Amino acid sequence: MPETHSDDPIQSRSLAGALLISAFLLLLTVAWSFYDEFFGLRPWRSYQREFASVYAKYLQKQIPIQGKREEEIRNSPEYKKLADQVKAAADVSKPKLQAIDTETTYIAARLAALQDTFTTARGKVTAAIYDAEIQPQGSNARKSRLKDVDEAKAETYSLELPTRDGKIEAVKWNFAKLDGEFNALKARQAALVAERGEALRPAKELQEQVDAYFKEKMEGLTRQQLSGLLNAAEHMNVDIRQINVNPANQSINNFGSGGLVDRCQSCHVGADPKLVPPAMVLTKVDLALDKNKDAPYASHPASAAELLKIHDTARFGCSPCHGGNGRAIDSVERGHGRYEHWLWPLHYKENYEAGCQTCHNADMVTEHAPVLNRGKQLFRQKGCIGCHKFEGFDDEPERLLAARQQIRQLEGQKRDDEIEIPRLQKAGDNAPDNAIAQKSYAQATNLTVTVSNIDAQVEQIDQRTNSLFREIKKVGPDLKEMRMKIRKEWIPYWLQHTHEFRPTTKMPQFRLTGDQVKAVAAFIWQSAETGPALKTNAPGNAAHGKELFETRGCLACHSMGEGANLAGGDFAANLSRVGEKDNYDYLVRWIHNPRERTRPYCPFEKRDLGPEDYAKHGLPFVFDLEHSGCPNDGHELQVQQPTVMPNLRLTVDDARDVASWLLTQKHANAKYESAEFMDDPKLKAQGLALVKNFGCAGCHEIAGLEDEGRIGTELTTEGSKPIERLDFALLTEDAKRGVLPDGKTKSPRDSWYDQKGFFEQKLANPAIYDQGKIKENPLDKLRMPKPNVTPDDITALVTFLLGSVDQQLPPEYTYKPGDQRKDIQEGWWVVTKYNCMGCHEIHVGQKSMLETLPKYQGDNKINLPPILISEGARVDPNWLAHFLANPAQSTTDTNRNGVRSYLQVRMPTFSFSDGEIQKIVRFFAAMSSQAQPYLPPKLTPLTDAERGMARALFTSTAAPCLKCHMTGDPGHDKNATAPNFLLARERLKPAWTARWITDPAKIAPGTAMPSGLFHREGNRWIFSGPLPPSFHGYAGDHADLLVRYMFQLTPEEQRSLTGRSSAAASGGAGSAGASH
Amino acid sequence: MKARHLFVVVMTVALAFTMVSCGSKESAPPASAPAANAPAASPIDMATVGSVGGGVTVDGTVAPPRKINMAAEPSCAAAHAGAPPVNQEVVVGDNKALANVVVYVKEGIGDRAFDIPKAPVAIDQKGCMYEPHVVALMAGQNLEVRNDDKTTHNIHPVPTNNQEWNKSQAPGAPAIEEKFARPEVSIPVKCNVHPWMKAYIAVFKHPYYTVTTKDGKFNLKDLPPGTYTIEAWHEKFGTTSQQITIGAKETKSINFVFKAAPAGD
Repeated sequence: MPETHSDDPIQSRSLAGALLISAFLLLLTVAWSFYDEFFGLRPWRSYQREFASVYAKYLQKQIPIQGKREEEIRNSPEYKKLADQVKAAADVSKPKLQAIDTETTYIAARLAALQDTFTTARGKVTAAIYDAEIQPQGSNARKSRLKDVDEAKAETYSLELPTRDGKIEAVKWNFAKLDGEFNALKARQAALVAERGEALRPAKELQEQVDAYFKEKMEGLTRQQLSGLLNAAEHMNVDIRQINVNPANQSINNFGSGGLVDRCQSCHVGADPKLVPPAMVLTKVDLALDKNKDAPYASHPASAAELLKIHDTARFGCSPCHGGNGRAIDSVERGHGRYEHWLWPLHYKENYEAGCQTCHNADMVTEHAPVLNRGKQLFRQKGCIGCHKFEGFDDEPERLLAARQQIRQLEGQKRDDEIEIPRLQKAGDNAPDNAIAQKSYAQATNLTVTVSNIDAQVEQIDQRTNSLFREIKKVGPDLKEMRMKIRKEWIPYWLQHTHEFRPTTKMPQFRLTGDQVKAVAAFIWQSAETGPALKTNAPGNAAHGKELFETRGCLACHSMGEGANLAGGDFAANLSRVGEKDNYDYLVRWIHNPRERTRPYCPFEKRDLGPEDYAKHGLPFVFDLEHSGCPNDGHELQVQQPTVMPNLRLTVDDARDVASWLLTQKHANAKYESAEFMDDPKLKAQGLALVKNFGCAGCHEIAGLEDEGRIGTELTTEGSKPIERLDFALLTEDAKRGVLPDGKTKSPRDSWYDQKGFFEQKLANPAIYDQGKIKENPLDKLRMPKPNVTPDDITALVTFLLGSVDQQLPPEYTYKPGDQRKDIQEGWWVVTKYNCMGCHEIHVGQKSMLETLPKYQGDNKINLPPILISEGARVDPNWLAHFLANPAQSTTDTNRNGVRSYLQVRMPTFSFSDGEIQKIVRFFAAMSSQAQPYLPPKLTPLTDAERGMARALFTSTAAPCLKCHMTGDPGHDKNATAPNFLLARERLKPAWTARWITDPAKIAPGTAMPSGLFHREGNRWIFSGPLPPSFHGYAGDHADLLVRYMFQLTPEEQRSLTGRSSAAASGGAGSAGASH
Repeated sequence: MKARHLFVVVMTVALAFTMVSCGSKESAPPASAPAANAPAASPIDMATVGSVGGGVTVDGTVAPPRKINMAAEPSCAAAHAGAPPVNQEVVVGDNKALANVVVYVKEGIGDRAFDIPKAPVAIDQKGCMYEPHVVALMAGQNLEVRNDDKTTHNIHPVPTNNQEWNKSQAPGAPAIEEKFARPEVSIPVKCNVHPWMKAYIAVFKHPYYTVTTKDGKFNLKDLPPGTYTIEAWHEKFGTTSQQITIGAKETKSINFVFKAAPAGD
């Protein structure tokens, strides 16, 4: 093969260039990896370094400042005086202490010298006694051993003991002597320890005062504390700072899921309580950092101190409350979880209470979370719950449906069993032998019992249904009654101009076309009931009606007036234009008893019953809470309007007056176009389809649609819904680019393509997600109407929704208390449902609606309903339960308050279910930390002398009790401002009563009851006024005496106090004849 | 070809078997079906029937019956103004004849079925006592319970093999009519309102039974020739039985003697 002369690539081509580039690239990569290792992926390193340096600087600056402050305090005359006192006390006790110490030393030396010999002697005696006792009783062996015992006891020991004067004494003692000396020394030693403590006490107590004084005067940390922190800052390890809490019951299979890993403090170093103690508040200003600098070192603000006490960061970490991705530390964006597929991003400032909801989702009211609470209240009150299921919120409709299905199923089973029983009996009669017969008979008997059990079960479910029928409430009015209540032409107007007619209404504005409005109005009109006809009423006195409206407490829930003149609560409707739409006779019935229905609803026949149904069974057409059985099948009927509005127990005359006044509330120029189309039967079916489509039955009771489900999405975990499942429709790109739905404005926080952005825009205007879409069928459009909400409302609602997430934390983090806090948790649902806080102060710091009205300012405060902050401690729970069921405390005389009949504002009858009453009673007990169940304490009976004394005090001019408190005498009670003492025994708790009469202002600031009636002398309360002569020499507690007297007061006794004839006082507390 | 023939034959045979086995299930009535609805086995020839008679006595000393204190029900106490009511547990006539004994054929009748008498058997409640104290009737025969007292009673049979019932009967209420489906000797009956009231009901599926009165005599008639076990039942003394063979038109006599337990029982 000839040699070729082509170039050898190995020789002729050089790779040096490529290699150089590669080497360079490799070097770059290595450099890059180093950069990432130390800076790029570890942004927290530089944060920590910077924090350590600025924090150390801050502390160095602080130490002299705080040191100076400390000096000032220590040099202050008060401090010096106290310190001198300590020194003086120490000096006083010094000789005594020295004496004690000398004595102690002497005893210790003597004991030490005695110890060995005594132990030996005791050992010998004990051994001899043991030897004797193991011999049989009375035996010779025992006798001889007992002799040994005597010998052991008689043996003498020589020893040398130190004496008090420092010499040594030599003694020869037997066991008895040794034992006596040893025990005496031990006892003396113990006594000396106690004496020493006693001698030190005055100085110690004074020292405590000094410390307390210093603590009180010293603001911020001491020099010593600061130096400790400085040391920690200077020697801070730059490292990942991690909070790691594993769930208690983690198994190998769920390792890595659940649990809590939070590394937030790697950057947010200032949030570490070990570095920045809770008492110190650190801001950028403190650290001399620019406001815009990226420096996440601020500590929790002072206002969070309470919250942090309950939520220890070592257990809770950061992300459970604040959101974000607690594990991510490679970038700010990742750590804050603000990227597309992280479902729990960091909460924005205005929504930060969303974090509370994560664990407190079963609470209606969460302390420290006003925005969240408002969101929840709005969700319920504005009727969101009508369309959107939310776990824990009003689920009575679902429970009613379930109860009904259960009854149906049980009744089916009963029918089958009833067919089976005679078959089994016959089989028994014809059985070939007795054993088979007995078996068949037993089966028949068992089935009979089963049937009876089914009856019992059905009865129970019926009772539950009865409760549910009381509990179920609709946000909007009953549309079955529209024809009797409302002016016909007003309905289509309202449907189109909902928020114009009533700017504060809960009803959202539906997006209906003109034809749709007509159809819906026609359906409502034609499906409503037409009778039995209402009672007709003569016109009432409008002026008196106005007075009643303003004094009975209507404004706790309703508002009146428009625009700037609007006053009253937002819990119920604004009544400014009622006169334009309501029927007078209907309004009279409603005011007289809002729960009254035209016809009862039978859930089994799915229709409203009429007089004809009752007549078939020979019954009168009477249905109310006491007559709630269906005449056809015996099951429970809905006999009430599903409204939260309670019965104010006004007379029919008063109801007429109020209605007459309300009907004057209208715009003078209001005009409504006639609406004949509403009688067009062709529109009815069309309207029904629309009403179903828009879910009207979620908030209204509508004939034929009583069992309609909620049409909206369930929102229980909406906050962590993946972003792709939220339909931004054609706005997706705009949202990502940060352009608001108007297509022009820039979003203040740039991209709003996240849950928060979706909710905010949807609540502001749900129609935007239909924008630009062509939908041939109008029913294809998004159904959500425009809610009547302010921007603040939207923030509250969005906070609530953002916090409603699929729980990431182990279940034990969820707030599910098992103790009294559970009663509080459950109670809030009822308390907020009926707006108790419209009239009452329930918890500290809260104001009722009525309190804010001009009518109840200044002197008029005494006309307010009672403050209920200590209600649980005040009243007997059994009494409270009875009172809540019947606030008039009478079945005949109901046009008044049962306890405070002098108050014009009326405690109405809510017709609570038994369950609701229990929840309220337990709620109040738990709010005051009262033990359950309540057992009234036994009070010491009054002696005759004591009764005479108490009587003398009650009637003395010095004690004004009977001036204000009711006595049952109508003439007197007209001006009374406090309850009748006769109620005390059943109603009050003695311990509370004693606290109340000694200092009522502490319990209810602003109460008419004066403080200072008693003063403290030693261990007892003494009446402050001139005492009747019989009190001389009485050693008992005066407040206790009066409480016992009150709790043992009888009507006769009360009559004798007021000196009235017995005829005038008949009745006493229960039916005290308060004149109206 | 052959194989196909074989197949058809096998299939046909199998089909036939199936049909036979199914058919047998449907058509064959259970051999041990209860006799209640079955027609009479072999009619009894009245020309050849015989009878068994005799007496029941008690041997030993019988303690005098205890008195019943009806103070709790004055209207009944008044009804016994003349003679104080006594416990009916053991009623002895002259010559130690024992009353309230049910004498009946226990075995030997076979599967014969008998017409059920149309007339009901009655128990009266009179002066807070059941009258009679012991009744016997056929299964399916009506029992009529009447209340002649001015107080409400409840009639509460506590059977072992029949269905238990417990019905109240106010003064003047119509008679209660009830039946027992199955033979049982004997069903205790009590009135829970008046705990001293006690009765027994014996139920049979044939008519060969009788209850002795104070003379202790019994007579079971119209028995077809055959060998029978005759049994006597007494509420306190239990049962005793004898076997006897009767020829055509023969009349035989047997006696039952119950042993009274030693005094003090």
